[in-house]
Amino acid sequence: MNALKTNNYFFKIYSFLPIILLFVSVLNEFDFNYLNLKYFSFNFPFILIFFFTLKDLKRFDYLLVFFAGLLNDIVVSLPLGISSFSYLLICIATSYFRNITIRPSGIKDWFYFLFVISLINSINYSILILFFSYELILMYYLVNTFFTFLFYIIFVSIFKFYLKGLND
Amino acid sequence: MATSRDDFIIAIRSAFLKKSTQQKFSLLSLLLISISIIVLSNLNFKVIKYVKIGLNEVVYRSSFLVSIPENFVKNSFFEIKEYSSFFNEYKKNKKELDQFKSNYVSNEIMQFENKELKELIDDFVSSSNKILAKIIVDHKSPYLKSIIINKGSKDNIKIGTNIYDQSYLIGRVIEVNYKTSRVLLLSDLNSNVPVTIAPQNVQAIITGTGKNDGKIKYIKGDFSSDLSEENIIYSSGTGGVFKSGIPIGKLKIKKDESTRNMSVQFYSDFSQLKYVFAEIISKKDIEDLDQVINQTNTTDTKLKLLEDEIEIIEDTNLKFLKENETLKFEINNLNTQISSLKDQVFLQKKEIDKFNFDEKELEFLRLNLIYGHKCRKTFLNSSGFKINTLEYRECVLNKGIIN
Repeated sequence: MNALKTNNYFFKIYSFLPIILLFVSVLNEFDFNYLNLKYFSFNFPFILIFFFTLKDLKRFDYLLVFFAGLLNDIVVSLPLGISSFSYLLICIATSYFRNITIRPSGIKDWFYFLFVISLINSINYSILILFFSYELILMYYLVNTFFTFLFYIIFVSIFKFYLKGLND
Repeated sequence: MATSRDDFIIAIRSAFLKKSTQQKFSLLSLLLISISIIVLSNLNFKVIKYVKIGLNEVVYRSSFLVSIPENFVKNSFFEIKEYSSFFNEYKKNKKELDQFKSNYVSNEIMQFENKELKELIDDFVSSSNKILAKIIVDHKSPYLKSIIINKGSKDNIKIGTNIYDQSYLIGRVIEVNYKTSRVLLLSDLNSNVPVTIAPQNVQAIITGTGKNDGKIKYIKGDFSSDLSEENIIYSSGTGGVFKSGIPIGKLKIKKDESTRNMSVQFYSDFSQLKYVFAEIISKKDIEDLDQVINQTNTTDTKLKLLEDEIEIIEDTNLKFLKENETLKFEINNLNTQISSLKDQVFLQKKEIDKFNFDEKELEFLRLNLIYGHKCRKTFLNSSGFKINTLEYRECVLNKGIIN
């Protein structure tokens, strides 16, 4: 890592990796849909935003999160602003959680994440149904929330490894 | 109690308003901007619409570039899967090709017949020109099933343009940009297609399920009990959004204890699409019919392969015709031989007849010498007959006995 730090250019790319990953994920929407597993899907940007706005806010600009949401809406063909709204709600939730937490705990974070994504997906679902007359299957949202919750713990261990490398 | 409420309010205020060290905007301002964007897009505000159109082009292209690595992995995955079932696929394809070959000729006849009938009904024919489009983004979210193609208003794509995979209907264009368009697939929950279920010709509406199949949303009249497994579903053209007579899929019926669930199995696998055809339709008068017929379209290029095969068949047909001619010539020769032989037989028969006749004459002369006096009419034999009469001849042949 020290060798990387001496090379300023690579270190910058490495330190902005989460935000790059966020933009790649919203443009790419990778969620292994092509495996055709019934109901299987998860929301990677939710995990990424939640973790990095909670743990390493320095490199995670809210404005970029807002733009990432706009891109996601265009790629997925949702009404403009919906994803930005959802992502910013996560940011608010993490900001609040950061302010009230005295002793951080992984398990607490995990279940708080479940609460946050459930709330956000519910709001999302309601807005699309009520204001935009979309026909949606609730089951997909529930399964998506469940798998996002499950995958959180896996990705968090990878992100922690990344943060450790960055701080070292 | 009051302290904990104060803490909560402080934490909330801090979460909303406090800008952290490197944040340029507070969360509250960004949240208000996103809410206003949502409201304005709900009201179809023009500025938002133009911003979206402007962003679409850039985002779709960037999405295509970003997706290259994932697409590589995805394609490798499918290729490996394909190799494992390569031989079986080959056998299946061979069988299908044979079937298609036989169907091709009858289809062509039907196409011409259809064209003629349309002329009679409408006084114009619609000339369709299918253009090949590449799918640049196919990230179907679990909620929305749509794809982005690399053709837009520049290529005469319009909202509602029908999109095909081979000759199967897969969706319609719902958003058009200058060089790209978004296609809503038939499997989407928001897709409704008026269809005809053959062979009963039952009118129905199918909708997507959000998965890779569809379901019957509405059936006109009480005909659902008449329908059976493997019924063919094609577009009815009602409403004018989709063209009529385009195959969509097969009907699948799942029977539970009390209910009868009808689903639609699409002919196309929407997860495997790489290239699609967009149909650009223009109306032309009958006077331009010749031009319409001469117009080449992309389907023709595909049919060219089949035409090559037909050429081979025609060559073999020519060979058969030649062989047939030589055989005909041989048959003619044989026929002349037979007729000459018949003549010969006829002559021989004639000779035999003559011989038989001579023999009878000789017998008559012999008997005439012996019994002629008994039959001849004389002064003493008044019951006799005049010579050279038939009665005389009979009398001689009866050995002089007069009847």
